[in-house]
Amino acid sequence: MAVQSDVIDDAGPYDRAKALSAFKLGDVTFYWITRLSAISVLLILGGIIISLIVGAFPAMKEYGISFLWTQRWAPSADPPVLGALGPMYGTLVTSFIAMLIAIPVGLGIAIFLTELCPQWLRRPIGMAVELLAGIPSIIYGMWGFFVLGPFLANTFQPFMIRVFDGVPVLGAIFAGPPSYLSLFNAALILAIMVLPFITSISVDVFKTVPPVLKEAAYGVGCTTWEVVRSVVIPYTRVGIIGGVMLALGRALGETMAVTFIIGNSFRISSSIFAPGTTISAAIASEFAESDGLHQSGLILLGLLLFVLTFFVLAAARLMLLRLEKKAGK
Amino acid sequence: MSEMSVSVSAPTVHPGSQLLPEAPAKVTARNLNFYYGEHHALKNINLALGTNRVTAFIGPSGCGKSTLLRIFNRMYDLYPGQRATGQLLLDHTNILDPKLDLNLLRARVGMVFQKPTPFPMTIYENIAFGIRLYEKISKSEMDDRVEKALRGGALWNEVKDKLNASGLSLSGGQQQRLCIARTVAVRPEVILFDEPCSALDPISTAKVEELIQELSENYTIAIVTHNMQQAARVSDKTAFMYLGELIEFDDTSKIFTSPSDRRTQDYITGRFG
Repeated sequence: MAVQSDVIDDAGPYDRAKALSAFKLGDVTFYWITRLSAISVLLILGGIIISLIVGAFPAMKEYGISFLWTQRWAPSADPPVLGALGPMYGTLVTSFIAMLIAIPVGLGIAIFLTELCPQWLRRPIGMAVELLAGIPSIIYGMWGFFVLGPFLANTFQPFMIRVFDGVPVLGAIFAGPPSYLSLFNAALILAIMVLPFITSISVDVFKTVPPVLKEAAYGVGCTTWEVVRSVVIPYTRVGIIGGVMLALGRALGETMAVTFIIGNSFRISSSIFAPGTTISAAIASEFAESDGLHQSGLILLGLLLFVLTFFVLAAARLMLLRLEKKAGK
Repeated sequence: MSEMSVSVSAPTVHPGSQLLPEAPAKVTARNLNFYYGEHHALKNINLALGTNRVTAFIGPSGCGKSTLLRIFNRMYDLYPGQRATGQLLLDHTNILDPKLDLNLLRARVGMVFQKPTPFPMTIYENIAFGIRLYEKISKSEMDDRVEKALRGGALWNEVKDKLNASGLSLSGGQQQRLCIARTVAVRPEVILFDEPCSALDPISTAKVEELIQELSENYTIAIVTHNMQQAARVSDKTAFMYLGELIEFDDTSKIFTSPSDRRTQDYITGRFG
């Protein structure tokens, strides 16, 4: 004890200030390192946007705003005619159908895993879902091309076409002929690909619901379904929508698997069983052999995908805000 | 039943308790045992909750008070590996019957938890939600029921202008009264309180205690508490539990003035626990 106080006395206030100033330097360094890391994100994002705009500029100047609603895509015509309507339509429709399938199924799996599943089955299913996320997209593409496409074209598609034949609107959506390569096949593959995102995020947020809150709901006499619908899902709404947005972001931009099975046709057809294309599929299949205005048009498509994704995610966030207002937060 | 025969009038603790005659049993436990997997948590519990009486459960942590409470509405059923044996009757219904409709049981036996648990919805919906599970009633009837329940929870005056605000926006004490109102709204017969005031400040605690007293006119109440003054203030009967056994069960006034078991005496005088 005495020795210790001697040391402190000897050291005096000066040394202590010096020791502290060393910490201060460390703090400043740390501050700048983290700050630069954060800024670099902005720089990279800005760089990408700028180079996209520069690359897309010739096409923008040539086609102007009508690029958005031109369906014709004829890069080898003279002068080339390029329009983004087909790929934009394909991107939105495939993503929409994919989410339509993946959200209920993904949430269903998550609810089953957290609320209903017997303990011994929990790990196998959970691991299978995570493995699904680990499959490279090219493998989904091959599987979709060689297995799922023929299967759908021989069974599901003829069935739907027959059932809805002559029904207004639906008859046009499910119109023939069946095809190995179609918007619907691509959407189905996308749904399978984004499923793990929705499921694993939902499982994680479902686990954050305090057990006592669930007990309280069971305590007023709710069934499991009522507990999930009225307590678990509202309580975790923000997290679930976050997972859905992540999945949507992936679905909008997914390239390889879609390029394999969508058919790469720029013509818009009312039927989801007809071939189509998406923005990323169009870029992937044509970029290597493009030059001049054609290449610039493809870059402009990329810029559009950027903007499209931004708007879709912004809309999702707006929806979230409105939901919160409705819940009285 | 012999051990709960009317005791000779002891010095009064809860002013009402002496005036009340022995009530018919609403919930009766006979040789009730409970297991968490291998762990034998409750051993041969025999007691009865009197109709429209307040029964307090006291004892050191881990003695099985909350466990006992969670058998009354079969809450333990949510978790695998937990089981109860023996007999437990709600009037003439066997609570432990595996074929019993749990949702109906929980409508008859409501529960208020240690932490306030408002559902993630508006104040109005928090109340209406439980009612809607059992009854289909018109909007105006529902408005009445919600108001009545909130009045029952002594919360109406504080929230009547913000029924559409989130239940989570209330203070802790208000949230707890909202949970009580929600429980009352379903019109149960028995209400279980699992340390309802342990997360509340003294003023909110006083309000909740007052509420429990009022509710005991119409409901059979069981309350688990670590606060012995609270048990003395609100209850007619008190059960002292220790290491999974029911040591003593008697009139509250008797337990707190002249307990017959040494361990009860030690516990209420603060010598252990």
